[in-house]
Amino acid sequence: MSGRGGRGGRGRGGGFGRGGGRSIAQNNVPWTTDSEIVLDGKPSELFPRYNVPIAPSLSKKEEKQVSFFLLFREQCHDGPLYTQPRTWTSTATGKRGRTYGQEQINNRYGKTSKATDDPFTAVQRYSQKYTKAERTLPDLESRPFAKEFFPQELHATLDGDDAPTSGPAHKRRKTGPKTLALSSITSLKTAEELFLDEAEQKDKDGNYDKALQLLNTVEKRVEDGDDQGMLSGEDDDDWVKNNDDEDGEGQIEEDDQYEEEYESGDDYNAEAYFDGNQDDDDYGDDGGDDGGEYM
Amino acid sequence: MLVTKNVAELCSLLIDELYGELPSRIFSILLTRGRSSIPQLVQYTDMSLCELRHGLAVLLQQNLLFYQVDSNSEKAMYEANTDHAYNLLRIGKILEMVDSSFGAPAKDVMQSLLLLGQTRISDLVAAYQEKIDQAHQKLVKEEADPFLETNGVNGDSHAPKRLDLVIKTTAQLNSVICRLVEAELIDVVHAKTFLTPDDIYRDVEKEVLDTHFPGGPKGGKAKIELEEKIAEGLRKVRGESKSLKRKLEQNGTAAKRRKLFSGGGLSNGVHDVELDPALDPKQVIRINYEKCLVDLRNRRLVQCVTDTIGDTTAYVYGVLLKLLTKQLPRCRSDPMMDITEDDKDDCGKGFVTTDEILDSLKTSVDLSVGLGKAAKDKFSSRAAEKVSGHPPKKKIILEAEIDGDASADEEEEDEGSESDESDSDSDHKPANGTKVKFAGVATKENRLDRPGQLRQHLLLLAESNQHFVRHCGYNDWTVDFVPLMDVLREAELDSVIERKSGRQGLRLVRILRAKGKLDEKTLPNLALMKKNEIQQKMLEMQTAGFIQVQEVPRDNKADVKKSFFLWFVDLEKSINTLLDTSYKAMLRCVQVLEVIRQKEKDVLLLTKRSDVRGRERDVMRKEYYDRYARFQANEKKLFAQVMRIDDLVALLRDF
Repeated sequence: MSGRGGRGGRGRGGGFGRGGGRSIAQNNVPWTTDSEIVLDGKPSELFPRYNVPIAPSLSKKEEKQVSFFLLFREQCHDGPLYTQPRTWTSTATGKRGRTYGQEQINNRYGKTSKATDDPFTAVQRYSQKYTKAERTLPDLESRPFAKEFFPQELHATLDGDDAPTSGPAHKRRKTGPKTLALSSITSLKTAEELFLDEAEQKDKDGNYDKALQLLNTVEKRVEDGDDQGMLSGEDDDDWVKNNDDEDGEGQIEEDDQYEEEYESGDDYNAEAYFDGNQDDDDYGDDGGDDGGEYM
Repeated sequence: MLVTKNVAELCSLLIDELYGELPSRIFSILLTRGRSSIPQLVQYTDMSLCELRHGLAVLLQQNLLFYQVDSNSEKAMYEANTDHAYNLLRIGKILEMVDSSFGAPAKDVMQSLLLLGQTRISDLVAAYQEKIDQAHQKLVKEEADPFLETNGVNGDSHAPKRLDLVIKTTAQLNSVICRLVEAELIDVVHAKTFLTPDDIYRDVEKEVLDTHFPGGPKGGKAKIELEEKIAEGLRKVRGESKSLKRKLEQNGTAAKRRKLFSGGGLSNGVHDVELDPALDPKQVIRINYEKCLVDLRNRRLVQCVTDTIGDTTAYVYGVLLKLLTKQLPRCRSDPMMDITEDDKDDCGKGFVTTDEILDSLKTSVDLSVGLGKAAKDKFSSRAAEKVSGHPPKKKIILEAEIDGDASADEEEEDEGSESDESDSDSDHKPANGTKVKFAGVATKENRLDRPGQLRQHLLLLAESNQHFVRHCGYNDWTVDFVPLMDVLREAELDSVIERKSGRQGLRLVRILRAKGKLDEKTLPNLALMKKNEIQQKMLEMQTAGFIQVQEVPRDNKADVKKSFFLWFVDLEKSINTLLDTSYKAMLRCVQVLEVIRQKEKDVLLLTKRSDVRGRERDVMRKEYYDRYARFQANEKKLFAQVMRIDDLVALLRDF
């Protein structure tokens, strides 16, 4: 109660009188008669503490159900009918807002075309070797359909004759009978499982042991005062290398690497990088060297 | 099929989750615009013809659309199938159910079918054949050159001698499909599968009118006849999807089939597999969600019994339900089609006998667990063994003398004569006595006692407040699903009300339920609560949709001060409100997931790479991996929450 009274008082002090009630209000407000009232002038809390109910943790059965669902989703995404690009969320930031009609709803979805390619990422790079190629249309021609249950107007689409640019390059039709592809993904590895697997594998793979061994040898050599080629021991070497190769740590990781190289001013490695990739990269041909000649 | 906004959004988000944006976009347009043709869709969506056709093909393949082809113009009109779209959410549950009751091979087949959509049997067999061949080749290669795959990513490379496939031969595949078809979990796609129920009705009506009533039905009798004929026609159309099952039943001997059924998933011998008839490879099959729901309902009921009574009783109940619902095609009977069929079912096999249950029980289960002991004089065996021959709705009173202490809301019919009663006494009491005597001592004695113990479990079920089982003959048991589900539905609603507006709110609702419509002034007296407290509570519950208010003016002027305000409970309406709230909650869960995904975009992009996938922990940097693990945990929790809410929705709407 006192909080509400306080706010009303301030309002009146600022000159916001309310017509007829004023004369009474000035004498009869509680804090003029009762001196013990302490006004609580604080504004009410914007986000009052709210007791958020926490759902109980998953039972074993639920865990199973969820993992089956997620596995199914994974398989779906792996299949030919899935279309990856989500234009809605990627371009949504600017276009989101109120929708008054179909036009606005349609505008929420971006269009993926050559014009919308990001010039900074569209150029193929080596690190993109592992990224999955995205499909804008489902790959219908790769699998058979029970055509009698589709309307006539979709039959051509099911055969794969409905490609947007049906040039000669796209006529790579699969010959022979089509077969359905069952998904090869058979298990959904969760974080814990993966960890457990790893623990099981420790003694089989020997990776872990090798790492320990390596550490031991390193320590020993440091103790011996031999800090020169401590990582180039014959048997340790391949493990380190392998591990590095497997570590495709993604773009960010690589970017860090480049930055370091750049800062150190050592451009020898950078050139080696470009040289090494000339086979893969179409853009490598018209690189800096040619430009230098024309200059 | 009209749905609320929340369901519509939820369905299209689910499709987006599973099949991508393209089909989801088309689906949501079909939901908002209703039945449309391709040119109309082009106009609505701004998408190219080619995109639309591809999206529609995907949706049709996954059974998410209805369509009707106009006979003149050959153009098709498409309509969204919201039931199937919603059922996408239950895929996890269905797979888990199949996995536990039919075994891993059946689950594998179900999963493939769900993944592929409607599939021709020959295609499915070919696909499996290819997979098996590949596995064989790999096996041969490994055997020939054991050093080829030394440090494979999957750590079990030391045991590659056997195939790690769930389905090992096509014969096994065939047998699994046979079993699933017999369980009705798989049915056949036929010419009218893709027509909406309304269209089918119109077609059948037209046909009946043309053939039987060329001049139109005249008189009341003819109208009734017309209705019956239409119902018959509709049943015929519906029965077409079961053609494969009928054929199987004609071919196979019933005894062998039964053996297959009760044999469980993995215990199937090879010779059993060989015996199964080859299925017509031309048939196209798909998942039958209706029957899946029946099985899910069984599981739900068993869960209920586990919670209220105990594990062993729940197990017995599960066996009973399985036997009872073997022939039950769907949870809720269609009011139009099933009027006559219900009666037929009652005459045929509407109950299960004690012996049947006893035969299907696993011998390893100890039935003496979960039964209490009571002294002879502490209970009336007569009341316990009471037989009620009719479902509670019919209310036939033949003998009213025994009623008094037992359940008052239901009139029982006592079929058993005096000799029957004494018979059951002698059957019943020694059972009790031995149990007291040999509690946990001699298993042999307990084994002998099995029928008696089983009977006690069943009686326990029949006596429960919810009436899980009806004792419809001396040795016959049945379940009245409709009233039972009503009871459970109300209990579920009650728990939600209690959660939202406290015990007092629940109490008020119960008072209203018992008394009907109550005036504002009489309610405080009845509820023994203060007037302003009640008013506050009632308003709160009214906004939540649990109770409704009606204004009755005293005179023509309809003066507000003089009118009566009557509070009342409309169960139907409050359930619908609760349903819509649940849809909304599920929708928010999926949307939150999308937001989290957007937030962790960089990490997720990384995990999609083919070299990272599957071994995120090895490859990713720790902070990234931690973020990824957190995302996965959140995703799991969100989906679990959605599935929990779906439990509620299933109970309120579908069971």
